[in-house]
Amino acid sequence: MPRTWRLITTWGAPPAFNMGLDEALLERRDAPPTLRFYSWSPDTLSLGYFQRWADVPGTARAGAVVRRITGGGAIHHVNELTFSFSASADDPLYVGKVADSYCRVHKAIAAALAGLGVEATLLCDGAAASDVAGTGMCFHAGTPQDLVWGGRKGVGSAQRRTGGRVLHHGSIKLGTSPLEGDIATLREAAPGLDAGALAPRLLDAFREHLDLAFEVGVPTPEERERARELGARYVDPSFLRRR
Amino acid sequence: MRPNDRHYLPSHEWIKITGDTALIGITDFAVDELSSGNEGDLVYCDLPEVGRTLEDGETFGEIESVKAVADLNTPLAGEVVEINPAIEDHLEILSEDPWDRGWLIKIKLATKDTSKLLDAEGYEALLASQN
Repeated sequence: MPRTWRLITTWGAPPAFNMGLDEALLERRDAPPTLRFYSWSPDTLSLGYFQRWADVPGTARAGAVVRRITGGGAIHHVNELTFSFSASADDPLYVGKVADSYCRVHKAIAAALAGLGVEATLLCDGAAASDVAGTGMCFHAGTPQDLVWGGRKGVGSAQRRTGGRVLHHGSIKLGTSPLEGDIATLREAAPGLDAGALAPRLLDAFREHLDLAFEVGVPTPEERERARELGARYVDPSFLRRR
Repeated sequence: MRPNDRHYLPSHEWIKITGDTALIGITDFAVDELSSGNEGDLVYCDLPEVGRTLEDGETFGEIESVKAVADLNTPLAGEVVEINPAIEDHLEILSEDPWDRGWLIKIKLATKDTSKLLDAEGYEALLASQN
């Protein structure tokens, strides 16, 4: 029997709202498990929670910058589909080691990408061909659980675990970014692919491989209000430059 | 069996009381869950300033592995009187010895009431129920 999750889709949302809503969904203990698909307007660079501003030279060239609540490296959110899973830590998606939960999500994504003719695999051992030292960018630092094709990283992920709940951020690259160099993108195999066309393929894969069902929903008024409150922090200079 | 000279939270922190103070750390399970057994996977740890007052269950710090940021919560209320000076630069200690050298903070206890905490047996049962 599949578990029913809420699906919220917000294309082209402002950076503060995107981060604020994810935190609102993470902190609300009685929130239904929720999958978000979203994109960013304007294009935004997000720093990992612990990253030092000075360690990410791309901040000087990015227009908008936020700091995520999740860890990992910086991501330039352009030409991509961003997603988040927020649910209780005892959801079957998250039980066991952190690495195991990554593998579940990434295997499902790999299945969706296979339908586009992209043969994505877990990096496992060794370095990715897209690794670049000194940029602080997530896509320039492969880890064993990362999805790669053509030897290059094409999906970035990070998690936050707090109060018995988990937020899993993911970024799937459709096209290139001037800040991320020679990474793997889906348009190499599927020219013209956009986030709206990729989303249903991901849903099918999540249904099949994660045993999920989805009910299309929207944030509640309370969640929207909380997202606005929380979102302000993500673009506040004192938070952005806290490290 | 985990050490029975201390108490545990379901979120995998331990507290070891000695007199009016207590050491707080995270369990081997927490370390392994975050790091997948690779000690280099733990990358950052933020600990509180000495003098900060903590309530029961309050988040006193954060730890980041290559793939996740997780909160650090205090099992009992108290005032932070010392942090482990070695940890922030040597996170591998948490993998090597989470029970002794891997303590994170020392607090002066506001209470010694451990009735809401798990003992070692209860913590083992919790872990067993999650696997």
